[in-house]
Amino acid sequence: MAAGSSGGPGAPCRHHAQLGACESRAKYREGWRPRAVKVYTINLESRYLLIQGVPALGVMKELVEQFALYGAIEEYHALDEYPAEQFTEVYLIKFKKLQCARVAKKKMDERSFFGSLLHVCYAPEFETVQETREKLQDRRKYIAKATNQRDCFMLKKVEGPKKTASRNSEHDCPWSTLGSSVATNWDPFCFTSSSGVSHNTAYPSGNQNQSLLTSPYYDDNCAEISGYLGQNTSLTPSVHPEGHTPPASLMQQRMFPAYNGIDRFMPRTTHLQERKRKREESNKFSLIGTSEDNTEVVIGPQLPEIPKVDMDDESLNTSATLIRNKLKEVADSVSTSVEKPESSSAKPLVKQRRRI
Amino acid sequence: MELGRLEYLQALVTEFQVTDSTGNKRRCSLALSLSNVSTHTRPFSLAEAKEQVLANLANFAYDPSNYEYLRQLQVLDLFLDMLTEDNETLVEFAMGGLCNLCLDKTNKEYILEAGGVEPIINCLSSSNEETVVSAVTTLMFLTTPRSRAQTTALPVVECMLRFSLSANTRLSNLASIFLQDYCSPPQVEEARNLSKHTAVGIPLPKD
Repeated sequence: MAAGSSGGPGAPCRHHAQLGACESRAKYREGWRPRAVKVYTINLESRYLLIQGVPALGVMKELVEQFALYGAIEEYHALDEYPAEQFTEVYLIKFKKLQCARVAKKKMDERSFFGSLLHVCYAPEFETVQETREKLQDRRKYIAKATNQRDCFMLKKVEGPKKTASRNSEHDCPWSTLGSSVATNWDPFCFTSSSGVSHNTAYPSGNQNQSLLTSPYYDDNCAEISGYLGQNTSLTPSVHPEGHTPPASLMQQRMFPAYNGIDRFMPRTTHLQERKRKREESNKFSLIGTSEDNTEVVIGPQLPEIPKVDMDDESLNTSATLIRNKLKEVADSVSTSVEKPESSSAKPLVKQRRRI
Repeated sequence: MELGRLEYLQALVTEFQVTDSTGNKRRCSLALSLSNVSTHTRPFSLAEAKEQVLANLANFAYDPSNYEYLRQLQVLDLFLDMLTEDNETLVEFAMGGLCNLCLDKTNKEYILEAGGVEPIINCLSSSNEETVVSAVTTLMFLTTPRSRAQTTALPVVECMLRFSLSANTRLSNLASIFLQDYCSPPQVEEARNLSKHTAVGIPLPKD
């Protein structure tokens, strides 16, 4: 049986202990700051942060303000029963989002605060069962999104830039609406999939891109919870209104991505550069004036189409879509009233750059 | 020494492999080639070096952008191999690494194909809290229609029942989720009946 703390939340746990920094690391592995040898898994991370070493000077307000810089805080209070060094206090802060807690921990750990060194660690033992469940679900979603985007990215290379904005904004909604619904409307394909037959092609979904993004998650999801009625913890795949089956070849491509030798590892900066390159390419393309739309006679250079690029972030994508739509509106209204294509050229997309 | 990410991962795995083989000399010679000797202020053991490298790899396994490289460098096999080590820390880190990367479809299939479920189930009986907690989560993540029979086998469900009553909140939360979301009510009932019978004790011999 696992040796665990018997005190429940509020008692010192092994994972709260600050391990000594490792001094024997080989130089090539040495980071900027001295770090202990520790492995972080989703179980260890939490929206709850435990802060030790807060000087007992009545600075709770300042402490919370400092942490609030990293994200919305849901609740906070002092932990009086937690063993603390003399003249220090221990606080618990619960963030609304795990990601904020991660950043806050990274920044505030070992930071000096009113003359005392803070020790910040995660406190997953304060979570309720439902919170833990949601944490694991979010991790699933994140991985599904991250690994699908890779697949989509690879497909993009093959087929050229595709519309991604609509896909992203559309697929965001189903997540939130499905999440709150109880699994009463079972997708019958769930049951067929559990029999072991390849269940990739069985899902009717929205447009092609949407299926690419959402199906693998549905795959897993469905596969795991098939047969258990009343499960509302995982998102249920419901039949999308459009409902046309994605072509099998695309699904195959998704399932077995070809690794040609060593695939280039793409660090984040390269993603930005890739997107820039694609934007330029598509701009170039449209200026040449090749139009697949046969109904329109294109005279002169076509207005550069605003590229729809996925920015890896839901909120950024939503903002980008809004801006894009607005620009389209403006461009449309201008082009109908004025007959000078040069003057009505679309403004370059205002891109919100993420700071890395 | 500046290294690109692939080179860094490669160096990690190489260091680990060399450390794995016998003889301090080989390990030291690699360390010399990769780092400046003067940075080592105190003597460190073979085990420590392995632990550091494994922890580093396990943390890398948290980020999906590394998964291709980790697969190419066969780090998944490395993690699975480490599960049967005597060194508890190595097991803990390897289990953490698996927990981090097993949600990805390709990784999941790979682990299942390689017969990874069994050593993970064995980790449930470890005395190391982190190992057990990682094992529970990994089993959840690895549950698919094909693997369910293995990941939710009766002994596993029974084990989870016991865990769900633990005073350790992290463990009991995870075990509860396992029972509620990944096991069917009949499965849970069966396991409950089993533990009830064994809890009663050895029946008296009939005269």
